[in-house]
Amino acid sequence: MTSLRWVAVVAHKDLRIEFRAGGRVVAMIALAVLACFLFAFALDRSQVSARHVAASLTWLTVLFAATAGAGRAFDTEEEDGAFRHLLLTPIPRHAIFLGKTAANLVLIWMVTLLTFIALTAFLGLRDPGSLTHHGAVFLPGTIGLAATGTFFGLVSRHSSLGDTILPALTFPLLVPVIFFGATASARVFMERPWPEISGSVRLLWAFALGFTAVGCVLFRYVAEE
Amino acid sequence: METQNARLAGLIMTAAGVATILFVHWMVVFWVPTEAVQGIVQRIFYVHVPAAWTTFLAFGMVALASAAYLWLEDERADSAAVAAAEGGLIFGAIMLTSGPLWGRIAWGTYWTWEPRLTLTLLLWFTYLGYFLIRGSVADPRKGKRFAAVVAIVGSLNIPLIHVSVTWFRSLHPQPVVIKPEGPTLHPDMLVTLLTSLAGFTMLFLGLFFLRYSIELLSRRPRSGEVQRASEVLT
Repeated sequence: MTSLRWVAVVAHKDLRIEFRAGGRVVAMIALAVLACFLFAFALDRSQVSARHVAASLTWLTVLFAATAGAGRAFDTEEEDGAFRHLLLTPIPRHAIFLGKTAANLVLIWMVTLLTFIALTAFLGLRDPGSLTHHGAVFLPGTIGLAATGTFFGLVSRHSSLGDTILPALTFPLLVPVIFFGATASARVFMERPWPEISGSVRLLWAFALGFTAVGCVLFRYVAEE
Repeated sequence: METQNARLAGLIMTAAGVATILFVHWMVVFWVPTEAVQGIVQRIFYVHVPAAWTTFLAFGMVALASAAYLWLEDERADSAAVAAAEGGLIFGAIMLTSGPLWGRIAWGTYWTWEPRLTLTLLLWFTYLGYFLIRGSVADPRKGKRFAAVVAIVGSLNIPLIHVSVTWFRSLHPQPVVIKPEGPTLHPDMLVTLLTSLAGFTMLFLGLFFLRYSIELLSRRPRSGEVQRASEVLT
């Protein structure tokens, strides 16, 4: 089997477990939508324009929901020792990492989509800008979130500090994603032309591909039993 | 023997580092000329820049020692990584404290979210995470491995910090020493800076060797444990 096939097998397995049980994805979506709901109340819209803050709120909501989900990405397998058995299979470590990242990515996309819809609805944004441009910004950004979250999700799983340590490890690394992601999304919300957005998107791609490559190389050191 | 050598090297270098830094303070107060634009506050430069250099040296050493630990699983590499990481956090704290004091006068604000400051603060937090993960994993071997991985990932930030002043719009001054056309500092300022760099580097290496020797000692089996192990074996 090629590595790509192994990646698909691991991702398919994770997604099937996830959609059968449904706990993690429901919790992530509930967190995201409720956060949007609270933001709508917390903002004084007579002072702050919704269009100016929509990008930041979307990215922060997706970040918190993705982090909460990543902390639980290995729970089911760790609890009944299935992860150890997964490591005993001939699947290369980098394919396990990529497969789990791909499964996480699907969940993060669902959360991102619902966050986007919820925020535009709750903040009353009638014209949020080009949806294609929003997709082009969120694609590399969410890949970066998924790769970082998956990698450190396994690390935090072994820590006695549990989910508390995951933000401490990931947030410093994810600042470029949030910075360039929010900058690019803000310009899409403001309906700026693509050349003003593409620079940030290129940097998001650089981070996403860079961290995925680093994760592939180092995952075998965190996934050893 | 290795422990004793490390301790001796640590004591000598710490003493040399402290003496050099005291001499640098004399140079900064009585000898070096005052910078024309910023005035007397620019003298923080002779503490801030060497502290920054030492921080990056320390975190670079942590990353190299961590890579060696992952590759060879040699406890000495992990001991070196811990010793360097502690030094990096301390000198990083000096850098992150002296910078805002200088910035308050030079820029009119203690802190600004410009690229070099932001990335440096994030680097410092990443290495704080190094100790958090190390101390919070029940299996010490796993803790060391996870910490080594965090150190390697965090070190990818170091070259980005170096180039950030040229890549992005930044309030931070452009390099004045490492430039293609050579240093553009006044010769007396350059001498003071290089002396301070030597002093900070020696102090860091001295503290590093002392901490490394303590770390090696703490990993030796205690006499009671050796006795119990020999009883079990016999």
